[in-house]
Amino acid sequence: MEEVGGRQPTHLLNRLSQQEDPVATTLEQTAPAARSAEEERLIALKKRETRQKWFWRIAGYVVVLGVWEFLSGRMLSENLLPGPTRILQTFPELIESGRFFSSFAATLTRIGVGFGLAFLFGAILGIFTQNRWIDGFFKDATTISLVSPGLIWALTGLVIWGFEPTGWIFAIFMTTFALVTVNIAEGIRALPKDLIDMSKAFGVSNWRRQREIVLPSLAPFIFTGLRFGFSIGWKVTVLTEVFSSNEGIGFEMRVSSQLFRMDEFFTWVLSFFVFALILEKLVLQRYENKFFRWRAEVV
Amino acid sequence: MTTVVTTAPTRQTTLRRVIGSPLTARILFPFAVLAVWYLIYYTIDSRIFPTPQQVAVFMWEEVTLTSGVRYSSVAENLYVQFAISLVRLTIGFFVAMIVGTVVGLAMGLSKAVDAFFHDWVMAILAMPALVWALFLGLAFGFGHEAPILAVILSGIPFVIINVREGVRNTPKELFDMARAFEVPQNKITRHVLLPSLMPFFFAAIRYAYAIGWKGLVIAEVFGSDRGMGWTIKFWYDAHRAHGVIGYALFFIIFALALEKLVFDPLANKAFKWRPKIDAVEMAEGDFGAVRSEAFLLAESQEVGEGVPMTSMEGESRNG
Repeated sequence: MEEVGGRQPTHLLNRLSQQEDPVATTLEQTAPAARSAEEERLIALKKRETRQKWFWRIAGYVVVLGVWEFLSGRMLSENLLPGPTRILQTFPELIESGRFFSSFAATLTRIGVGFGLAFLFGAILGIFTQNRWIDGFFKDATTISLVSPGLIWALTGLVIWGFEPTGWIFAIFMTTFALVTVNIAEGIRALPKDLIDMSKAFGVSNWRRQREIVLPSLAPFIFTGLRFGFSIGWKVTVLTEVFSSNEGIGFEMRVSSQLFRMDEFFTWVLSFFVFALILEKLVLQRYENKFFRWRAEVV
Repeated sequence: MTTVVTTAPTRQTTLRRVIGSPLTARILFPFAVLAVWYLIYYTIDSRIFPTPQQVAVFMWEEVTLTSGVRYSSVAENLYVQFAISLVRLTIGFFVAMIVGTVVGLAMGLSKAVDAFFHDWVMAILAMPALVWALFLGLAFGFGHEAPILAVILSGIPFVIINVREGVRNTPKELFDMARAFEVPQNKITRHVLLPSLMPFFFAAIRYAYAIGWKGLVIAEVFGSDRGMGWTIKFWYDAHRAHGVIGYALFFIIFALALEKLVFDPLANKAFKWRPKIDAVEMAEGDFGAVRSEAFLLAESQEVGEGVPMTSMEGESRNG
């Protein structure tokens, strides 16, 4: 009783102040100034913290790149470990040579086809693992795919199918499908059953239910599967190119290391990272933001 | 009459239950693989594609050392190659665990150290093992150094990230309470910090070992003249598909045995008092980890912002 009685007046007061009486506003005028002082101190503290963070971050870059630059030509031969400056010099040369974009196109085609099929199969399998029999049937396949090294699939696929696309598709497929399956299965297990039941009770159409409940709650799991699968598939793709291709990033890495052109080799590594960063920041994150816009409203 | 009527349906339902059980499905899976294998065998236009029997015979000969194949290097059989790989893996694994734990602890405890190393840890994490293998093979030749370093470099980001997360996940209120009751520091470390760190530490062990193994075999292909990776490449270069598939099966058997016999029991023990962490998420971080990292960073910043606010409250109260 007391609690309720204690609460109501403050509630009323809040409502009163919201109506903005002339008296209330004059009374409050001192308060915002005090609050802003505290806020300013907080903002300053936060600023100092981010400044410190950036300082240490940049210090990290400077130290690592500095040690690298120092090592090259002094501790290790410059031919073996070219410094960051030399790699930056080779970068535009590589782009000018025209091999840069064709290699990326070749690698992307491979990963697009291989991982595309793996994603499709993995997603369907993830949906069907709701059935316990199918789950039991594919259980060992998923485990094997998760724990065995990509190298064995690359070599097995290539020794059987040679340079045919089946070889590398097999390798990429076997290393990535299980990641998608596991994530989708997890997502389906986490579907909000109560919301679905409620929408059924209120006669919401099946199509709307799928679009507005199932898809949004599955989306994070789909994205996780996409991301992990892509990053693993990327590594396997590069590996298959070493053994069975005459173009692509993996092939270029192999050739440049065989010809002992390490500056070119590291430039390919660098471009790999630049590409991964672009893909992550510009493509995946943008789509994700689009998908999760509804979440911001909740927060 | 009645007995026949009653027994027939029960027999049928038990039969149906046996066929419909997940265990039956699991047992059926290898047979389905064999069926697909034969299907490929009869449809593919390849002179080297082996039958399952050929591969089985090959594996048996390798296991019993009766194949008569003498590899060109010093190491001559499956067991020696396997032992070499395991020794390399173990050495690399321990170095990665020690260095990774030190760096991970420092990153978890200090924001400056975290900012210093964060991006580089992520870069090492996203690096394909192929890059390590090619570079280290050139730098160190065909000795033990290149494969061991490949294990360290593949495994260490997982150790660092897991240990760092473990430190961040230690319950702050328990620390505060321990301090309020003036519990000595070594007791806090032993009873609060270590137990809450344990699951993350086990995750680190698991993935450093598993990912280290994947990195090792690739490094052995390009930068070594012995070991399991080298052996499977030997059969690939010899264009003997039964050798490649046989060794691939050895790899799978090893990985499954490691998972079922070592890590699953260990994980069950370590996670007994805690809900399970998403294994896949921890295992295959890569680009995904960059995002979840970013998320965790944001979260920790919120916590970090919370701290000065309370301390300022205290200040203003004192003042």
